[in-house]
Amino acid sequence: MVNKKAFGRLKGREAMVFGIIVAMVILFSFLSPTFRTYPTLVSVLDNSYYITLMVLGVTFPLITGGVDLSIGTGLVSYALIGGYLIVHQNMPVGVGILACVGMGVLIGILNGILVAVMDLPPFLATLCTCMITRGLGPALCGGFGVSWPSALSEAGQFRYIFKFISGNGTVVPIGIVLMLALVLIMSFVLEHTRVGRYTIAIGSNKEATKLAGVNVKFYHILAYVISGLFAGLAGVAYAATYATIYPGSGAGFELDAIGGAIVGGVSASGGVGTIVGAFLGVIVICLMKVGLPFIGLQANWQQIFTGIVLIAAVLIDVIKKRK
Amino acid sequence: MKKKVVAVLLSTVMALSMAGCGGSEESSSSAQGGGAQAEANAGGDGGYTFEVLVKSFQSTYWQAAVQGIEKACGELGVKANSNGPANESDIADQIQMIDDAIEKKPDGIGLAACDANSVIDSLAKASQAGIPVVCFDTGVDGAPEGAVYATVATDNTAAGAVAAENMFPVIEEKIKAATTDAPVRIGEVNQDATGLNIQQRGKGFIDKMIELCKGVDKKVAVVGNEFYVNATEDKVAEGEAEVIIEVGVPAQTTVDLASTEAQKIMSKNDTIAIFGSNQTTAEGVITANQTLNKLSTDPEKGIIGVGFDAGTPQKEAIINGQFIGSVTQSPLMMGYECIQTLTKIAKGETVSDTPMDGYWYNKDNMEDDNIKPNLYD
Amino acid sequence: MGDIILTMKDIDKSFPGVHALDHVNLEIRKGEVLALMGENGAGKSTLMKVLTGIYKKDSGVITYEGKEVEFKNTREAQDAGIIIVHQELNMLGHLSVAQNLFIGREFKKGIRIDDKKMNEEAKKLFDRLNVDIDPAETMANLTVGKQQMCEIAKAVSFDAKVIIFDEPSAALTESEIEEMFKIIRDLKKRDIAMVYISHRMDEIKVITDRVTVMRDGTYVGTLITKESTKEDIINMMVGRVIYEDPKTQSAVPKNAPVVLKVEHLKAGKMVQDVSFELRKGEILGFSGLMGAGRTETARALFGADPKESGNIYVNGTKVVINSPQDAVKYGIGYLSEDRKRYGIVVQKTVAENTTMASMKNFMNGIFINKKKEKNVAQKYVEALATKTPDVDQLVVNLSGGNQQKVVIAKWLTRDCDILIFDEPTRGIDVGAKNEIYKLMNRLVAEGKSIIMISSEMTEILRMSDRIVVMCEGKKTGELDISEAKQENIMNLATREIE
Repeated sequence: MVNKKAFGRLKGREAMVFGIIVAMVILFSFLSPTFRTYPTLVSVLDNSYYITLMVLGVTFPLITGGVDLSIGTGLVSYALIGGYLIVHQNMPVGVGILACVGMGVLIGILNGILVAVMDLPPFLATLCTCMITRGLGPALCGGFGVSWPSALSEAGQFRYIFKFISGNGTVVPIGIVLMLALVLIMSFVLEHTRVGRYTIAIGSNKEATKLAGVNVKFYHILAYVISGLFAGLAGVAYAATYATIYPGSGAGFELDAIGGAIVGGVSASGGVGTIVGAFLGVIVICLMKVGLPFIGLQANWQQIFTGIVLIAAVLIDVIKKRK
Repeated sequence: MKKKVVAVLLSTVMALSMAGCGGSEESSSSAQGGGAQAEANAGGDGGYTFEVLVKSFQSTYWQAAVQGIEKACGELGVKANSNGPANESDIADQIQMIDDAIEKKPDGIGLAACDANSVIDSLAKASQAGIPVVCFDTGVDGAPEGAVYATVATDNTAAGAVAAENMFPVIEEKIKAATTDAPVRIGEVNQDATGLNIQQRGKGFIDKMIELCKGVDKKVAVVGNEFYVNATEDKVAEGEAEVIIEVGVPAQTTVDLASTEAQKIMSKNDTIAIFGSNQTTAEGVITANQTLNKLSTDPEKGIIGVGFDAGTPQKEAIINGQFIGSVTQSPLMMGYECIQTLTKIAKGETVSDTPMDGYWYNKDNMEDDNIKPNLYD
Repeated sequence: MGDIILTMKDIDKSFPGVHALDHVNLEIRKGEVLALMGENGAGKSTLMKVLTGIYKKDSGVITYEGKEVEFKNTREAQDAGIIIVHQELNMLGHLSVAQNLFIGREFKKGIRIDDKKMNEEAKKLFDRLNVDIDPAETMANLTVGKQQMCEIAKAVSFDAKVIIFDEPSAALTESEIEEMFKIIRDLKKRDIAMVYISHRMDEIKVITDRVTVMRDGTYVGTLITKESTKEDIINMMVGRVIYEDPKTQSAVPKNAPVVLKVEHLKAGKMVQDVSFELRKGEILGFSGLMGAGRTETARALFGADPKESGNIYVNGTKVVINSPQDAVKYGIGYLSEDRKRYGIVVQKTVAENTTMASMKNFMNGIFINKKKEKNVAQKYVEALATKTPDVDQLVVNLSGGNQQKVVIAKWLTRDCDILIFDEPTRGIDVGAKNEIYKLMNRLVAEGKSIIMISSEMTEILRMSDRIVVMCEGKKTGELDISEAKQENIMNLATREIE
């Protein structure tokens, strides 16, 4: 158990974010009759899978006081590579999925080494790998878009992991069950295992952690590997939810995840945050992405509005700190 | 244009992987940058010879163009030597090929320029040598005065109109039955409101649909994205309209946001049809339908869907009866028109730019020879 | 007294430019508390860092429990039973007390960290040490004193045989110190050897058994605490070094006007009720050990840090200084101890740095009058004999002494009559030092007044007309240069707190 006071405080933040979610659902439902339908709920969830997976990973670098900007372009790049192997090299879907996740882990290791061993500022290191991954997928796969096998084909069965569609067209968003399970698992990892404990310790006081005899480099790298691993899984989720992966896209995806984490109470300066909070924060972001178009807000205003919400979330932290 | 580049690259890699797997004769010869030749019918129309340069000789997209060139040669009794670099990015190779083509002193050159700026010097050389050039697929804006006789490229406004023309007959009865109290809604999802070709396509659809509705005495309102609402002149207020065209533009050009826009429109009860104006947005419509399950080819049973360009998901949607059809651009027809224009020039006729339509394809004609090559995966 | 557990013999360690440890010896016995004393920079902390593997020694032998050892890192030293309780606390503020205690060696159930068991073990440990701390409390929520207790408890939990306390009492209240002493006495009974680094003479007398004194990186000697007086220890600390030409007589006339008067200045723990006067043409030295609160006093006076209370009079008029801008308005200039952070912009030219604090005088509308700027800068380069090829030289290319001169020029362009020099010669070589001293003397001769904060005894005795001594945020004495000696200054600087 995290000690009582800290736990209580974070519980408060989580409760607050949950309240915001409820308020947003009520508001959107009130303003748009078509919003309060089952398909919209499914759409919010569809939208949330890859972002949720990203946030489960990126929360670790964030808690060390760093950041991982490479996850957005990364996930597209990994999904391109995986899809290329399946569609154009006729490999089994399993191989494609493994390649997608494996690439994520590799880039995670690279990020970790750049940050923990070479001492590059995380912002800079992952900005560079963000650019690298942006070019990597298209470069390896010839620069074209890839459509992973559709749900109708046998090879496309993996899509049912996220969304089960029965014969008569009934849609069951079972992906949410998987997400909740992963939230619980990663929550456990962060709060009850050494990996998580040392992640928080590094974000809290890296020097002191080192003096305590912890292999700081290893755990610091590991935080980025976790981030990369989940970026790879997010690539699979993205490929499963949407039709075609376009090369060169993905820039900005990471901001949805990082923004969500911060809304959910993960401190950008490290040491503070929970997986549950980060997950709830992502739901807020996804609700906005789906809900704002529904209430008739046009494209540019959606982005302005999202920015304002993020400022509000960060301000809450700043004001709290000042007290 | 971007989609086309994607298509080309995609096809390039397909050709490469074919070469890797099989090593069949054609692919190995084309991998060496070899040429194809279309022999003229003996005693044809003066037996002109043209040099044609495509962007990349290996991709199926450009092979479709070559098919069109051969078709025209067969019909007109002229000869065309087609060539092109191995890769669309081999700009220098293509320039060398243009210069070689000029040396051969053909009756004309057909050119799909890899890079519009880099070919200008070569075009000047052709002009000095008195060899007429026809650009196809891609125009060269900065070409020296008089060097390019005509350009054959897709007219996006017309291509958007093609979508409207093919959608309208299917929903005509619904539109006729609409009243101001019970209007019907037609959706359009555009990738963005800033790219010129997407703008033209989106507007082309809207304007044509308004025209068709007026033909059956129905007034149209345009709602949604500010750009399209403001750009449309022939519209009425929402309350006075029997038909509402709702334009959705996602905040970012991603499939997930495109699908949200599509879903927003498709969730409304009065929506009878929806058009995704490029590959991303068409797939957005398909993604939204996975959950909503509302698309149908029967207007009484669901929403009519129309797409643009190709890609596996869209082709599957047409085969599965989710889309009634889509609009594709046609390299084949551009190649064909290119030779037609060159022949006219050689005969001394005056020519002008040829805007190419988008081509409608559906379940029935997808496998046709002049359509299939255009439909990349 | 117990057997010898640890000896350090002939330990030598150099850093670039500094011979930090010069063949130092140390010997610790089981169950004793050994005080390690010396002036700032005597090498105490360096010696302890060599012992615990943070630094690698150049030569010498460490023998621990009869075997020669050399620890590669703190972890190895820890495992062997040698633990250092650091001066700057090594806590993880976001984790709980128990999580801090067991960081790096958590109890586990499978892969799950057993926080419940950790809390129980921490509770047992605290009970044994008679400390009242909730193991589940977040570290950041504890007082500094309690945090220190946790550090000690952590050391004990390692099965420590040798514990090193590096200025453990610096941040503690009287009652907290009492509590800590209770623990130390308890540990003594268990035959644990302890090294106690502190400047507080009263604590040394109360808690330690022997005192080892270091000076300038060398071993001076060891005394039995009970058998020695405070003066004995101080004499060993300051040594019998002849300081070059100390001032013997103040040059300031007794009736010189008071230009700055500070009354009852309070600003946090480090500035507790400080009062003093500065006369025209005087150099007022501020002496004391590290952390005595001298810089804090200067910063509070200058408006760089907030103050709680106190009155400031400039030339007899009461003034309010809430920001450096206010201070500059009243003619007070502050030359920071950390030149690179607060004093100069190294990537700018000499001219630009010179005029930085008085930009207003060099503007034509919105444009900087470059010519005027250069002229003025040139004037000061000549006046201060700054060695630079020209005023367009980037400051980063100048030596430390010449950088300091640029900073001085910066404040002189503002017509500051009161200059606060905080460690004016830190990091400056001997030749340049003398130039700075000459310059300071010339400035006071011209009627300016200087407050000089310095940790170097030589500098204090050579430059000051009067000396204010501070200890633990309080002014503990004021000496005229004629009566000042290193012994009585050190005595005031380490004065017991009543």
